[in-house]
Amino acid sequence: MKSHWIIAAALSAGLTGQALAQDKVKLVDVVELSGAGATAGTNWKNGIDLAVADINAKGGILGKQIEIVHYDTQTNPGNTRAAVQRAIDEGTYAVLGPVFSGPIGASMQIAQRAEIAQLVGGEAAGLTMQGNKYLFRTSLSQTAAMPKIAAYLKNTVKAASVAVVWVNNDFGKGGRDAILPELEKAGIKVAVDVATEQGQADFAADAIKIKNANADAIFVYLNEEESARFLRAAKQQGITKPMVGETTLLGAKVIELAGDAANGVKGHVGLSIDAPIPAFQEFGKKFQAKYNYASDHNGLKGYMAVYMVKWATEKQKKFDKKGVADTLRGATIKPSEEPGILIETTIEQNGDLDRESFLAEVINGKQVISATLPKLKP
Amino acid sequence: MTAPATHESLPQRSRLSLPAFIDGSLLTLVAGAVILWFAPVGMGRYGTYVLSLWLVMSVAVMGLNLTLGYAGLKSLAQAAFMGLGAYATAILTTKYGVSWYAAFALSGLLTFAVGLVLGFPALRVKAHYLAFVTLAFSTLIWLIMRNEQWLTGGVFGIANINRPEFFGIKLFGALEFHRFVVVVTFILAVLLWWMIRSPWGRAFTALRENPIRAASLGVDTRTYTLLAFAIGSAYAGFAGALYAPLVEFIDPSPFSLSQSFFLLLMVVAGGSGYLLGPFIGALLGVVLPEWLRFAGSLYLIIFATIVMLLLIACPQGVSGLLERGWAKVSGKAGARS
Repeated sequence: MKSHWIIAAALSAGLTGQALAQDKVKLVDVVELSGAGATAGTNWKNGIDLAVADINAKGGILGKQIEIVHYDTQTNPGNTRAAVQRAIDEGTYAVLGPVFSGPIGASMQIAQRAEIAQLVGGEAAGLTMQGNKYLFRTSLSQTAAMPKIAAYLKNTVKAASVAVVWVNNDFGKGGRDAILPELEKAGIKVAVDVATEQGQADFAADAIKIKNANADAIFVYLNEEESARFLRAAKQQGITKPMVGETTLLGAKVIELAGDAANGVKGHVGLSIDAPIPAFQEFGKKFQAKYNYASDHNGLKGYMAVYMVKWATEKQKKFDKKGVADTLRGATIKPSEEPGILIETTIEQNGDLDRESFLAEVINGKQVISATLPKLKP
Repeated sequence: MTAPATHESLPQRSRLSLPAFIDGSLLTLVAGAVILWFAPVGMGRYGTYVLSLWLVMSVAVMGLNLTLGYAGLKSLAQAAFMGLGAYATAILTTKYGVSWYAAFALSGLLTFAVGLVLGFPALRVKAHYLAFVTLAFSTLIWLIMRNEQWLTGGVFGIANINRPEFFGIKLFGALEFHRFVVVVTFILAVLLWWMIRSPWGRAFTALRENPIRAASLGVDTRTYTLLAFAIGSAYAGFAGALYAPLVEFIDPSPFSLSQSFFLLLMVVAGGSGYLLGPFIGALLGVVLPEWLRFAGSLYLIIFATIVMLLLIACPQGVSGLLERGWAKVSGKAGARS
């Protein structure tokens, strides 16, 4: 008799477990949580967690709660490949991440072979040029952003020569390789081309080199923390020329770390919690409240990645892994349909994105948006 | 590890290893290869990939075990040598269409030659100073891999590295390539087993234990130091040549200085100077963190704690612990294999 009870209990537990599993959709995030990419990866992960909490609180995707799992890549291609393979073996609905292009390059073929959408945080130009139909960006690529900066340098700053300072990782090198031809096209001379290291603490020597080059403007393409350190060093060396950059030069974190030295910095901003869009600012507040620090653009990217998956699933009205990629390709997601996407986003056939972006300047410790740039293909 | 040899220990070693052509280490290698050939069946692609990665790292650790564990030379450049092999194979196969087998051999030759050149400072400096020389070399190679974009792809790396064919059989599948890695690793391990038992192996050990005494016994210390370094480096090159097609992508990050430290940790944790130590060390370094992934964000902390506790409990690594255990069970005094 006792054994009957045990069997019945085991069966009901099994059935409940099964029912629970059926009510959930598994998403695996494979991202840099240790190693060189940890700062970017942690922001991306927190953005994802925020989106998942929001979606689950509102009833999930098509009535199913999201079960999110994060796997660390250690910023190492071999480990990334293992983690993505594990995610696919475990039946992930889509792969989120990684953020650095090296780990993306090592894992994108696996998601492609499994015909599963992979939403990545990488900005390097080459990623979407390999004909992979399952790879999707969550931000503008550098090839989309750099022409806007070159035009800004030429028309607004009116610079005839520019000093370029960049961080020697895939992000910085990709940006530098994308801006140089654009500067040449715009007829702007590169006065000096300065490579710096990821995690570099002292920028005094670089600042002196740039000061001596005496260019009309300085194009700064570093990660957030390094940007702040560079701005402080530039101020100490008395550099007064306009400093122009991208999202990573004008972000909240840079302003917080660089203090006064950030004033006067200007440039092009893709995703920023300071953008004049209430949804972005709302995200910024929620992120700050939950994690007690300001999100960078990677937090926004992670947040939007989850909503891209949600939108595609609801659009196809079923859970079809391959269908997610098919639905996303060529689609335009409007905030009126899916508020979580925050800004109207067009996904091109190769996985690149097209969005509005902004020109901004830091005035009195605040990022002020001076103009909104339209989508490349409005 | 560097304690001078006693009168008792040397004859005892030869007595233990001489009686038969086949010994426990060789039997373990054969049995391990057979098990690993069949192990991934029903394991999924992830498990198979992790097993393959473990074997590839074992090859690199085997090389470092020869340099450090047998010859006593502290090298911090093993990951750099692995990078040399991986990049040589990737560049030769993707850019010049060279077959993987030729690229594998050339990677080994290249790293052997570079190891030979780097071995020269080893003749002049010892211990920490040698570590510094190899540290500088490691940084130099990493900078070349990252900055010479025309050749190495720089920070973007080299993608779409093809896996080899074996007599017309395509090895694109995880299981097929895993079995290929098992065979290559087995051959390399048996070669090392043979070498350790040969007069060369004895000479390497003599170098580690007491170089002056080795020289007085007629061992050409210069040649053997160079050889130990070069062969250890060539194993790293072979590992790199397997790593590139396994991951199908390489960039400089897996070959940085921190990875050299990690390989060193695998040698020590596995048991430096034991033939099977590298397999155990790489198991700890590659498979354990993967297995600990269930612990979420704490997994690296747990991993580090396990490794620290392990080294406190058995400074001679897991192999040393097993040997002590075996000695207790069989009632014999332990001796290195």
